[in-house]
Amino acid sequence: MMRSSLTIALKDLRLAFAGSGGLAQAFLLGLLLIFVFSLSQDVGQRMDAQEAAAIFWLASVFCQVLIFSMLYGLEESHKARLGLLLMPAPIQAVWLGKMLAGLCLLLLAQLLFLPALIVFLGQNIYDSWPLALLALLLTDIGIVALGSLLGALAQGQAARESLLSILLFPLLIPLLLAGIHLGTACFLPEAPENIQSWLGMAASFDALFLAAGIFLFSFIYTGDD
Amino acid sequence: MPHSLLLCLIWGGALSMAACQWLIYVYAPTEATMGIMQKIFYTHLPLAWWALISFFVVFLASIAYLRTHNILYDLWAKAAAEIGVLLSTLALITGSIWARHSWGVWWTWDPRLTTTLIMWFIYAAYLIVRNLDLPQMRRATICSVLGIIAFLDVPLVFLSARLWRSIHPAVFASKEGGLEPEMKFTAIACVLCFGMVWLALLGIRQKYLAQQHTVETYCLREE
Repeated sequence: MMRSSLTIALKDLRLAFAGSGGLAQAFLLGLLLIFVFSLSQDVGQRMDAQEAAAIFWLASVFCQVLIFSMLYGLEESHKARLGLLLMPAPIQAVWLGKMLAGLCLLLLAQLLFLPALIVFLGQNIYDSWPLALLALLLTDIGIVALGSLLGALAQGQAARESLLSILLFPLLIPLLLAGIHLGTACFLPEAPENIQSWLGMAASFDALFLAAGIFLFSFIYTGDD
Repeated sequence: MPHSLLLCLIWGGALSMAACQWLIYVYAPTEATMGIMQKIFYTHLPLAWWALISFFVVFLASIAYLRTHNILYDLWAKAAAEIGVLLSTLALITGSIWARHSWGVWWTWDPRLTTTLIMWFIYAAYLIVRNLDLPQMRRATICSVLGIIAFLDVPLVFLSARLWRSIHPAVFASKEGGLEPEMKFTAIACVLCFGMVWLALLGIRQKYLAQQHTVETYCLREE
């Protein structure tokens, strides 16, 4: 299944980079959000680390909605979903493949958002960045696991981006809180409290929704319109 | 649900709700600090509990639908979700009134309040999906998956909100006395009476949805 998933992920990444601006839209939306929030500061003011982390995750989640809408739209726009369904591999390979492609694109987007946070919101990177990196990976895995599952659910719907947003945002709140709390470690000289509890929360979310994805994806991704 | 049982629940619910009003306004003493405003607690608590139970019913009915593909389970899930959203809306309104009087703000970050609000958002989105223009079986499957995911998220929402911060009073679990015995009895009686009304509402709504489904099926056959 892993080989099929990697094939799908590579295929999606190639199509996403060769596409007509869907990916650029997602990245630009995130950057725009960070810039707009920077307007709330007075001249020379440095934004609170927790606020900056919250804006970072908000930009990431909006970007992720567009990423998964685009990834599942690749088959829809070419009416190729049946082809993917007929692939000689478990159907969960599609979910995992889209998830891996989504993870790569989200990490790439966050690579752009981080300098934007330093420039626009006046943040500094401190010594706890390895912890923040671990938190980033744990949070991203949960986000893309749920994003890949619900992206399949919203496929073929009119206004699927807004549908995906209203479904994803409330479900992601526990993970976003963990991401925000742990993300502040990157922008503060001292690490925040309760690190282990929040890491546990993010890992639990990942485990729960990875399992849910494996069990439930086959019900959602079918040949029915 | 048999018609006779539904009738019993409707009459039982109506009479017990009347008895609850007597317990709330006559039997239970008025709280010293908050005064008459504290009485809202007897409505707020059952609303919040039965809203959560409604969402649990959605979860169970969703699993049952995915296992059997029997549309009746999907109708139970829909009825329970609608009632859950209604009850959680009322719980949020009554909770907000309580918060304003007790803590001086209409809204504050608290695990239980936040969990109820997030559940409201999740199940409001669930009801939007339920009204999408999709083939019936496809919609039922999508909603079942969503009903399962939504309930799996509830414990994590509560734990994360508690880790963030909390000021909610621990009513029953309080080690410093909590409620007076009369107040506790009234609160428990209210929860049970609301349960009867909840069951009656669920039965009525499910029956209506089942009849609607039957009519729609006949109409499709005619076409």
